[in-house]
Amino acid sequence: MERSMRVLLVQDSTGHSTGYHVISRGLRDAGMETVLGGAQIPRAIARLAVDEAADAIGYRIMDASPTILVERLMEELERVGLRGIPVVVGGIVPEEDLPRLTALGVAGIFQPGATLDSIATFFRDLAQRTARQA
Amino acid sequence: MYDPTVVAAVAAAQAEYERRVQEILSQAGGAVAPPRTQSGLPLRTLYTPADVSGLDFFADLGFPGEFPYTRGVRPTGYQTKEWTRRQVVGIGTAEETNQRLRYLMKQGQTGFSVCGMGYANYDSDSEHALGFVGKGGVWIDTLADMETLLDGIDMRAVTINQIGHSIPIFAMILSVSEQRGIPIGELRGTIQNWVTPGGEGPARRGNGSVDILEFCTRHMPSWNNSSISVRNTRDQGCTAPQEVAFGCFQGAYTLRAALGRGLDVNQVASRMSFFLSAENDFLEEIAKYRAMRRLWARLVRDRFGATDPRAAMLRFHVQTSAINLTRQQPLNNIIRASLHALAAALGGAQSMSVNSFDEVLSIPTAAAATLSLRTQQIIAYESGVTKVMDPLGGSFCVEALTAQVEEAAREILERLEAMPERDAFDAMDEMTRDEAYRRQQAIDRGEMKVVGVNCFADAPEDDDAGQPRIEALRYDPGCRDKQIRRLREARERRDPRRAEAARQRLAEAYGQRENIIVPMRDAVTAYLSIGEISRIREEALGEPFVPTTWNFGR
Repeated sequence: MERSMRVLLVQDSTGHSTGYHVISRGLRDAGMETVLGGAQIPRAIARLAVDEAADAIGYRIMDASPTILVERLMEELERVGLRGIPVVVGGIVPEEDLPRLTALGVAGIFQPGATLDSIATFFRDLAQRTARQA
Repeated sequence: MYDPTVVAAVAAAQAEYERRVQEILSQAGGAVAPPRTQSGLPLRTLYTPADVSGLDFFADLGFPGEFPYTRGVRPTGYQTKEWTRRQVVGIGTAEETNQRLRYLMKQGQTGFSVCGMGYANYDSDSEHALGFVGKGGVWIDTLADMETLLDGIDMRAVTINQIGHSIPIFAMILSVSEQRGIPIGELRGTIQNWVTPGGEGPARRGNGSVDILEFCTRHMPSWNNSSISVRNTRDQGCTAPQEVAFGCFQGAYTLRAALGRGLDVNQVASRMSFFLSAENDFLEEIAKYRAMRRLWARLVRDRFGATDPRAAMLRFHVQTSAINLTRQQPLNNIIRASLHALAAALGGAQSMSVNSFDEVLSIPTAAAATLSLRTQQIIAYESGVTKVMDPLGGSFCVEALTAQVEEAAREILERLEAMPERDAFDAMDEMTRDEAYRRQQAIDRGEMKVVGVNCFADAPEDDDAGQPRIEALRYDPGCRDKQIRRLREARERRDPRRAEAARQRLAEAYGQRENIIVPMRDAVTAYLSIGEISRIREEALGEPFVPTTWNFGR
């Protein structure tokens, strides 16, 4: 049976949240459970991921530097025992940041122009190969 | 406006014409869905006087500078006052932003508009600032940063626009003005202020947005006390009639809050301004600006009983749309932004910022920002459209669309006004999100064309349709260390006793729900930082710390 997934969606700041809300609705319509975590710093995201028993994190980054925030997030996730939980980044990600984000273990990166279907498919595939939080 | 017998004859001929068109279309391959504007308003494929037969020239259109200002708020339009060239700037620390501002002013920029100032309620050395400092706008910690930001800029010569309505930032602008011996009553500019539910009781003590309205009305006669910002809502996906309705709703809400504080409707409304978008649907956008001028004028006169003609004039700044700009084939964005800007010029904007083609990649480079300024200058000086006032007024199509947008907006406005205030604000968010989702689905299905994205897109092996590779501006991660040094220096240099006195005075003002502007000016003048000020407010009001709100007074 196809497994559903509980995705924690967070963003780096409160403004410019169009994509964040559109994707939340798109994932829900595609049968996934989404938790809207709002604008959070990496430490709070890690805590939320534990509290919400998230299977994956969708992180909208537009106003801040993706490499700096993701590096910190990965450290925080390790600290709370969630090493390996898939982190998917969406937003405005500079080309020069892509290799670093991949090296940090980001599961996927979606740039402006990505379709809702491509994002939902990605998460659905992720659900099939990801361990769930107990 | 037209002879009824002529209109009847035209209507009959129009019906016959449409019948012929349908015949041709059905022969050519079946029924075609009737066209609609981007916002979903029904369109005809051809307009005649029969579509505007209900218009009363004097009541609905009139002359520029005359009620209901459909054709413009000034009798002379751009002939005596060009729109302000006000490109948004915000990059790195105050030093880099100051350099960019001065550069653009040499290139012909005539207004000041800086983003990033005071968006966050914490200092650059906070954990919350990690990855942010100077990335999506300038970072300001203390008055020392504002002094640097305004260095070499003549505050009497330019009109200053404060993006966001952070009260500490507003207070810093006042403080620099006083340092330079410029009475604040002489300052010209705008604060992006509007009132949302909050504060206490009918006088709304504790709502900082109302404090701003009160302070500006009493002390700053040349400063726009508000800039009702629906541009960003539009950029989050709402439609043109929603943009108009939400703007009028928030404008009316702001005005009512000012009246609740005992202010005069004519004085306050005369200094209200609006911040609008310029979207893809060219004709609908021009109609939108005209419709909103008419709707707002009637609202302020009929609902609020304003008698000063200036109170009913809708004056607005336009920042062209960003939601339509594409990462794919980014040079296409130059064309999009030019069309957006042209619509704003034809719609009679007072001030403009044209988004740069590379903003979908990063903060614009100096070259891209200059190109945006050139876009404005080419429209103003080469296209010829500024020589005639409201040049599309009288177009059967534009007049019909103006009436449609106004009517659709009026319906939404009435629905909102019938709701409890908080519900109305929630409803605007909900409607906007619904539209954003619909829009994305329409793009994904190819129903809404986006050139270079869902049509005329590159195959993966192609090189951006032959466009040269864009070198986007790179973020310097050392920016935060530089800003933290600036903050520490400012703290070391300040007079600790004066800082402590200002701290106590501010806490007391918050506790007693005084108008916060003057105590805030004293606090920033003593070089208290924005982070320190937020802690003072938090302790005085016992409210939890909210890391990212744009206002300290709500």
